[in-house]
Amino acid sequence: MTQRFEDTFLIQNKLGLHARAASVLAELSAQFDANIMLFQGDKAAEGDSVLALLLLESSQGKEVKVVCEGPDAEQALSAIGNLIDDKFNESE
Amino acid sequence: MKLSSLISQDCSKAAVLFNSKKRILEYISELAHSQLPDSNAHDILDSLLSREKLGSTGIGKGIALPHGRLPGIDKVVAMLLVNQQGIAFDAIDNQPVDIFVALIVPEGENQQHLQTLATIADKLKNKVFCKRIRQAHDDQELFSIIEEFDN
Repeated sequence: MTQRFEDTFLIQNKLGLHARAASVLAELSAQFDANIMLFQGDKAAEGDSVLALLLLESSQGKEVKVVCEGPDAEQALSAIGNLIDDKFNESE
Repeated sequence: MKLSSLISQDCSKAAVLFNSKKRILEYISELAHSQLPDSNAHDILDSLLSREKLGSTGIGKGIALPHGRLPGIDKVVAMLLVNQQGIAFDAIDNQPVDIFVALIVPEGENQQHLQTLATIADKLKNKVFCKRIRQAHDDQELFSIIEEFDN
């Protein structure tokens, strides 16, 4: 049975979803079997594509919806959510 | 934003041949320095190298976005280089890199920087664009492909 989990997260780091943050997110997404998608407004991006993530242009203060589908969807959503909430491990 | 308004013809380099990450970053810093004569090429190289230390800018599929922030400049310098062969670049997919979109950006201006990255990503996401620029024989042809995909 395919599991689907989703939640909305606030981009808190000062630089937003810039190249390094997008790379860390893509590397993390690639570790899961689940299909991971991010949505902001009318834009959608595959979680494991840095180029797609950069096209979201998510800046500080924007909300992104993360949707994970697949056997490890719950763990994937939790890991991605933690990364965003931890400001992509950036200091500000 | 149009990519051709970001990358000038002077900064479009087709079929270059470098064999290491260090060499191509050195060339990028010299090219940026030619656009920013008041800056110091060593400072530019340092900013690129320190960014790579935080994590490779190789984003996968043979593409890297080496970039650095430089105080005291008021414009973005963007460069497109296509290397004749893939270079080991510690990319996130462990694949060698042959397409380099390099940026030297002013400090701050985070929103503007995200817009610049999105403009670049919009083109690089297009497989036909990547295929065409990999086949470009000279700088003029490379720049004309950028202009063609802007329209």
